[in-house]
Amino acid sequence: MTAEEYDVIIIGGGITGLGTARDCALRGLRTVLIEKFDLTNGATGRNHGLLHSGARYAVTDRESARECIRENMILRRIASNCVEPAGGLFITLPEDDCSYQDTFIRSCRNAGIDARPISPAEALRMEPSLNPALTGAVKVPDASVDPFRLASANALDTVLHGAEILTYRNVISFIMEGGRVLGVRTVDTRSGEKAELRARVTVNAAGIWGDGIARMAGAEISMLPSKGSLLVFGHRVANMVVNRCRKPANADILVPGDVVSVIGTTSTKVPFSECDDIRVTADEVSLLLEEGCRLVPSLAQTRILRAYAGVRPLVTSGDDGSGRGVSRGIVLLDHEKRDGISGFISISGGKLTTYRLMGEYASDLVCEKLGIDAKCLTAKLPLPGSEGGMDSDDYSISLKVARGRHGTRVSKMDFADKSEVLCECEHVTRAEIAYAVKYLDVHNLVDLRRRTRVGMGTCQGSFCTAKVAAALAQELGCPEKAPEFVRQYLAERWKGMAPVCWGESLREAEFMRKKYAE
Amino acid sequence: MKFDVVIIGGGLAGLTAGVELCRAGVGCAAVAEGLSIHNAPMKEYVDAGGVLLSGDSVVRGEWEGNRLLRVFTRNLENTPLEAGNFIISTGKFFSLGLRSDMNGIYEPVFDCDVLYDADRENWVNPDFWGVQPFETFGVRTDAEGRVYVKGVPSVNLYAAGEILAGKVDIVKSALEVCRKLK
Amino acid sequence: MQEIEISANNFERCLKCDICTRVCPMMAANPYYPGPKQAGPDGERYRLKDPAFYDLTLKFCLNCKRCEVACPSGVKVGDIIQMARLKYGRQSHPVRDFTLANTDLVGTLATVAAPAVNAMVRTAPVKALMHSLFGVDSRRTFPEYGRKKFVDMFDPESQKGFDRYVSYFHGCYVNYNFPRLGLDLVKVINALGYGVHLLEKEKCCGVAKISNGFGASARHQAEINASSIRKAVAVGEVVLSTSSTCVFTMRDEYEHLLGMDMSDVRGSLMLATKWLYSMMESGKVRPVFRKDYHRKVVYHTPCHMNKLGWSVFSTGLLRMIPGIELIVPDQRCCGIAGTFGFKKENYDYSQKIGSGLFDILKSCNADVVATDCETCKWQIEMSAGLEVMNPVSILAEALDIS
Repeated sequence: MTAEEYDVIIIGGGITGLGTARDCALRGLRTVLIEKFDLTNGATGRNHGLLHSGARYAVTDRESARECIRENMILRRIASNCVEPAGGLFITLPEDDCSYQDTFIRSCRNAGIDARPISPAEALRMEPSLNPALTGAVKVPDASVDPFRLASANALDTVLHGAEILTYRNVISFIMEGGRVLGVRTVDTRSGEKAELRARVTVNAAGIWGDGIARMAGAEISMLPSKGSLLVFGHRVANMVVNRCRKPANADILVPGDVVSVIGTTSTKVPFSECDDIRVTADEVSLLLEEGCRLVPSLAQTRILRAYAGVRPLVTSGDDGSGRGVSRGIVLLDHEKRDGISGFISISGGKLTTYRLMGEYASDLVCEKLGIDAKCLTAKLPLPGSEGGMDSDDYSISLKVARGRHGTRVSKMDFADKSEVLCECEHVTRAEIAYAVKYLDVHNLVDLRRRTRVGMGTCQGSFCTAKVAAALAQELGCPEKAPEFVRQYLAERWKGMAPVCWGESLREAEFMRKKYAE
Repeated sequence: MKFDVVIIGGGLAGLTAGVELCRAGVGCAAVAEGLSIHNAPMKEYVDAGGVLLSGDSVVRGEWEGNRLLRVFTRNLENTPLEAGNFIISTGKFFSLGLRSDMNGIYEPVFDCDVLYDADRENWVNPDFWGVQPFETFGVRTDAEGRVYVKGVPSVNLYAAGEILAGKVDIVKSALEVCRKLK
Repeated sequence: MQEIEISANNFERCLKCDICTRVCPMMAANPYYPGPKQAGPDGERYRLKDPAFYDLTLKFCLNCKRCEVACPSGVKVGDIIQMARLKYGRQSHPVRDFTLANTDLVGTLATVAAPAVNAMVRTAPVKALMHSLFGVDSRRTFPEYGRKKFVDMFDPESQKGFDRYVSYFHGCYVNYNFPRLGLDLVKVINALGYGVHLLEKEKCCGVAKISNGFGASARHQAEINASSIRKAVAVGEVVLSTSSTCVFTMRDEYEHLLGMDMSDVRGSLMLATKWLYSMMESGKVRPVFRKDYHRKVVYHTPCHMNKLGWSVFSTGLLRMIPGIELIVPDQRCCGIAGTFGFKKENYDYSQKIGSGLFDILKSCNADVVATDCETCKWQIEMSAGLEVMNPVSILAEALDIS
């Protein structure tokens, strides 16, 4: 059994863990991140893709709102390739309380969010797909963010700065000595190989699974898994983020995400046992559709590609009482102060929009415990791909699309030799796949999807899975694995198609079955 | 235009029936919306003398009680296709033979009775590789293979191929219908 | 509350079965063309996000609509591509494209000095000049211009005294190049007891303007044609055309690509062979044919005819003529695609696409090729060296006028 020595171990390959890892790596710490499946398998890969302006929280939680708008502005800069500054509207419908809008605008302004009321006519000009019955609208700086791209970019920067990211690595137990966490014992879930990792500080950034991780170390966090379901529509129905101007409720946000639209979300308590296999129910689908159509009526006639769900890690135990000045949304727990377990901290709560700030808080605490004085650089340095420049009109479509996904990193793609388009719905070339294998830690088709949008288009993999699996297997040097990739990938895609299987999706399902299962 | 048999749906089932009938001297016209993903015998059908209307679809029929007299297609407009017997072989969902929405499944040309599970959550098996309930949905037919419309079997409209309910052998079902029409 | 999905041109119905790509004639000939599925419904999702995703290789689409005929999902693939071209396309040779598309202007000028024009465009120096300066391939032979326009040869007096009338949309080809076809149609219609009226005002149907990116100008012409057609329909006359492309453009492309509502007249606007077939098959008219008429005819289905689904009418009509031996081979694209095949950057692709057809037609050893599209006619005459006639002209030949 090998034992590696690091400054910090981060458990959890979601955006929080990755943000923390990047921060630590940029500060020069010897960092390793371990993730039990693939990066973004948790809530990071199952959310709305919304870069909040904070407006949604302005009325009830000014601190959270302030945090959101600040981070929103930072991410537009450092993650420019992952963020689409679409702008957002909060619309009031006839059945809503029209006095809420004033409260809303005032609260936004108090939180430093630029909220401007506009007339319904102007709102419809900006966004023609809106419900024409709207009685009021407020423009806010919402944006859409691609969580996969964001995570990939953070992971890439982390590795480029000398840190390690180990996927398919599960924590078996903590290495403890007299109330002190010295590291973790891990198992590679594919090979079964065991390894020990040692570090002076271990960070629990495992999202909803953080509850179990903490317990393994002897600490109780008390999390409540809250499931949220969403629907993906076949094309970009609205170009701006559309919200409902009322007290936050279910299914009142429609977000444009690259070439699709996503409506969400719901809020249902689920047991921990369901967290690894969450399914969307028919009732949730109906609710999402009904509420979505109130925002944008044409959703009633738009093809639905799939339904998916994620689990929010809601932390009930709140602040650790150490007087750290952490907001109510973000939860940073120093287990030494709280539970007498040293060398162990947990970072949880928050949202995708504030991931960087969470990483900063966690890294600050890590450095404090290590006695290292190093400043946070994550707000200053752009993520790989977002360094800017490289604007030109003369690109081929393949290059344009790849550039949209990976920014300046397209320079690392070999379009001369590998220009064949394999996933045609999302225009993914062999060059992009080869790049992902080389730089982005890809082990199967599901991983590849998260890095490149393969199979995320209209056909949900019907057309391309066989071809892409063969190409991926070839790039990975294991051509015999192609059929296994196909099986695993289709099963994953099917999971999201089943809850919305009527109309065009039912036709697609029949076609997928005919092509692969007969 | 008059024919002995008009085949609605020019896929594997429809054209297999067409080849069999034409070779037996039964004059056929087949209306096909798009090409089939199966290997439908287009060349054999046309060589056997069958009339093939490609890229067209039947939009309505004219009935006399339970007897279908003629059908009108999108492209031929006011020129109907008349025949003594008709075969409907428009397939399942993929080829638009059956349509579905959140509330149910129906047959779009004649509103034939469809056999399916009323609970939408039972349409799909969550295991991709397992048998799928929706693959067994289809139109209701009597012992002779004639479709039911509003609870009554038609006199001269037969069904063949994947539009049928249950587990279907496409070619076999087409040949069985031919036996009744030759 | 989810109704049946509705999307522009049904682009969301695409299941990516790729059948359209398999039947696209350009796919086999041109490795740069992404194919109808990618150019159409795939590309549409990205163009909705940002027009910068418009792929310039869409200019290679022939607009043959074979993708639409083959699509099992009812996606209007061809229309999606043409709409994208109209919205985002760029013209590489604007002067040439304007000239090729303005058939009325060029036709009017050319008929003034037809013999000189016809002779000049056959000479090597003029061809070379057109090739280098203008971008019109020097290998392409130009159709000849008539000395007199059809509208000047048509005698309205001769059409007086009939009980019933049809209206005739003659189109550019009949008017400027081949008035003989128009006269044949009049002869046939009169022989069946109907008189022929020309439309009050007629402009080129606009298909060349649409495919060359002059959408607004095409719309202007289309409005004039639609208005004239309405006037004819209002007095109970069907409007006939002898060109499959003209009638297809006016019935379908006006609505789908130019956003016009033709629903009130579409049913009354048709190809002459459709009307003739219906009249003869129902026994409403009983023409007398020459007893000595024998012709071996091979019928070529133009792509737009394939889309209309009306080749049954032309072949049905020809089969009604005693003495005709009719061969109908598998339909294939001839490759010219209207003005497309005149352009030097496209010429080789056109010829490659049509080569299969030329061989088949030659191997039939027929007396004449029958087809309803004039540009197919030019292409087959030039590339296969065969005589080509419109079915209406064959019918005119076979009629016993005495």
